[in-house]
Amino acid sequence: MKRIIYPFAALIILATSAFTFIKSQDWKIGDDYAVKFTSGDPSGEFKGLKGTVSFDDANLAASKFDVSVDVATINTGNGMKNTHAKSEKWFDAEKFPTITFVSTSITKSATGYDAKGNLQIHGVTKEVTLPFTFEKTATGGVFTSSFDINRLDYNINTAEPNHGASTVKVDLNIPVSKA
Amino acid sequence: MFKKIFFLSICAGIFSSVACIVYNRIYFFAFEIEFQKLVNPGSLIAINMFACIIAGIGYYFIKTWFKRDHEKIFNLLFTFLSFASILAPLAISLPLDIKNPELFPGLAIPMHFFPAISWFTVKPFFSKE
Repeated sequence: MKRIIYPFAALIILATSAFTFIKSQDWKIGDDYAVKFTSGDPSGEFKGLKGTVSFDDANLAASKFDVSVDVATINTGNGMKNTHAKSEKWFDAEKFPTITFVSTSITKSATGYDAKGNLQIHGVTKEVTLPFTFEKTATGGVFTSSFDINRLDYNINTAEPNHGASTVKVDLNIPVSKA
Repeated sequence: MFKKIFFLSICAGIFSSVACIVYNRIYFFAFEIEFQKLVNPGSLIAINMFACIIAGIGYYFIKTWFKRDHEKIFNLLFTFLSFASILAPLAISLPLDIKNPELFPGLAIPMHFFPAISWFTVKPFFSKE
């Protein structure tokens, strides 16, 4: 029996250390993050950002984002617009309470990194590539990203394509600390 | 005539400012929400004094142009403009760091009628009859 225990223990240690080696760095999302969107009309922000952020610039293959924001937290600065945005006509927050992004691959780009993955808004999932940068700080780091989204691609108020802007610029600024 | 209208405007402005400040405090105690950045005693006094002075200037011209029916025309116009002005708090987009923007119209809309109410309240004290 003893003869089996030691090789078995060695195998477990070896396997665990191998997984430790390939595991990416996990990050905890800081409270002072900003998920903002701007267009001619309206502009605002989302809150309720949560999920898992695994990122290691030295090991992009093991890096992954699986994050979501709460649609009901939309804030345009105007109560009436907030109510409209959450309604059936626009985001339908009751039926589709979250906007999610799950990355499938992260690659290095000329300006930073590209996160390829599935973005789900209003129940519609589209494959997108989100450019982002990561800047290390003393306590962790900051992810920043800026990209455009066409609401019509996600069936958001397609009945009124000219009501407000159809293309919205999204700006993300997400400070993180080591988990 | 202008001196009397001027003092009427000042009194209406003061009365209206006090009413707004009191209502602002009541609203805060009722909903535990404050829009201090936009609505504070300083801004309320400034806006109410401005509104009542403008009303006074308007009253002066209406009184000059419409000798007989100036009172009816002015009251109608002041009420109509107060009512029309409620579109502003409904349409305004507040800075994003201000929480619960849906509660802002409930604070601001009643205040839009305070200058007119104050004017109509103070006006009899300045009439000869």
